[in-house]
Amino acid sequence: MNLKKVFILLVTAVMLSSVFAIGALADNHDSSDAMVRIVHASPDAPAVNVYVNGEATVEGAAFKDATDYMNLPAGEHDVAIYPAEANGEGDPVISQTLTIEAGEAYTVAAVGMLDNLSLKVASDSMSVSEGMSKVRVGHLSPDAPMVDVGVIDGDALFSGASFPAITDYQELEAGTYDLEVRTEDGTQVLDLSGTTLEENTVYSVFAVNTADSLEAWVLTDYTMMPSEMPQTGMGGAQSDMNNMFMIGLGTVLAGIVVAGIAINRKNSYQA
Amino acid sequence: MKTNRILFILAILLISGGSTFIFASMDESATNSTPYVKPADDLTFHKQLTSFDQTEAINEENKQVYPEPITPTHIEIPAIGVDASINATGLDDNNEMIVPDNGEDVAWFEPGSQPGSTGNAVLAGHVDDYTGPAVFFDLEDLNPGDEIIITDKKGESLTFVVDQLKSYPKDKAPLRQVFGPTNERSLNLVTCTGLYNQSIEEHEERLVVYTTLK
Repeated sequence: MNLKKVFILLVTAVMLSSVFAIGALADNHDSSDAMVRIVHASPDAPAVNVYVNGEATVEGAAFKDATDYMNLPAGEHDVAIYPAEANGEGDPVISQTLTIEAGEAYTVAAVGMLDNLSLKVASDSMSVSEGMSKVRVGHLSPDAPMVDVGVIDGDALFSGASFPAITDYQELEAGTYDLEVRTEDGTQVLDLSGTTLEENTVYSVFAVNTADSLEAWVLTDYTMMPSEMPQTGMGGAQSDMNNMFMIGLGTVLAGIVVAGIAINRKNSYQA
Repeated sequence: MKTNRILFILAILLISGGSTFIFASMDESATNSTPYVKPADDLTFHKQLTSFDQTEAINEENKQVYPEPITPTHIEIPAIGVDASINATGLDDNNEMIVPDNGEDVAWFEPGSQPGSTGNAVLAGHVDDYTGPAVFFDLEDLNPGDEIIITDKKGESLTFVVDQLKSYPKDKAPLRQVFGPTNERSLNLVTCTGLYNQSIEEHEERLVVYTTLK
């Protein structure tokens, strides 16, 4: 009688442990994360290391370097920027608390001249209408005047941007545009002829460096993506494995039945 | 009593033998699902560092020359004997990526990035069709360093090199890391892995092979 229970327990334990083993191997990606990229837009700042909650997250970022989007848990984080050669010792150039929400994407830009460095945080778009293009501009040139960005000899698309503003997005037809950055009196300060905006793509165009050597820096914020991973299988190659499992299960059950018979016989002898 | 002993021995043999089978089948699915395990953050970290390296290289040489991006029509993976056509696809009404209706072809997610441009280009192929193995069945056997050759209809080709393989439960894959923007010129191959779940008519996991332009 007890033997039977022991067998069943044993088999159950074997099967359960296998199931758990599979569960434990699965890689858990946390959906409560936010995405953050860090952008070095300070013309005279040296290469820097960025520490998030005391941990070196970015090393040796120079002017006009941008990280890829990184996963960070939602919530508050301490972001500190040190000169790369300081190895995290001494005082940071700047340190700030960053609050981020799950499922959102952010650009954190180090802007301004070194002696006046600040962190500019912008929330990044994660959608675009099919076939369209979406763009925003950032005025990250510390000493440049207030500007408009618009079509050469045409309308302004973004008006009255001054340091360190990052505008809202505008959805535009995909295509190639002859754009310029101009002051409010119409004087061109940066020629952006032949700017190509691909469809299904979201951009940030940052005007960086000092006013006398102003340049445009184009970053991609988002490209169209599906809502889930594609379904890339129909199950036809799984039968071997399932068969193996069924044969195993059948054999175990047969074993239990045989054990049961044996126990019954034993009991009846004893009776 | 002697028969009883034999019966007991038989029972033990059957149970242990059966368990071995069960273990073996479980084992197979377990190895299937995690061909190559690395901590999740490794990839982003690696990528952001290499992106800096690249930028430095650009600064030093003033301009690094990359081949033009291509519209892919053909894929070859010599390491696992893949030689297949690529069709451009997009999203269906449910915002899901359209995949080939057969086991031979590979789909390129056209609304995303082009192979060779800065960003994550994505190719998807079936691991199996209704009757047996399909084009990406052996994808899990790839190793870092293996080459993927993508060709367009004019015969221009680009070679990508495998960085790492990673599998995720189907709803837990980092979509942005697979499909989203990056500073790298990446090509990611996606297929199914893990057990086929009859009730949802889907495999329970997805395998992503991350590669970058050679």
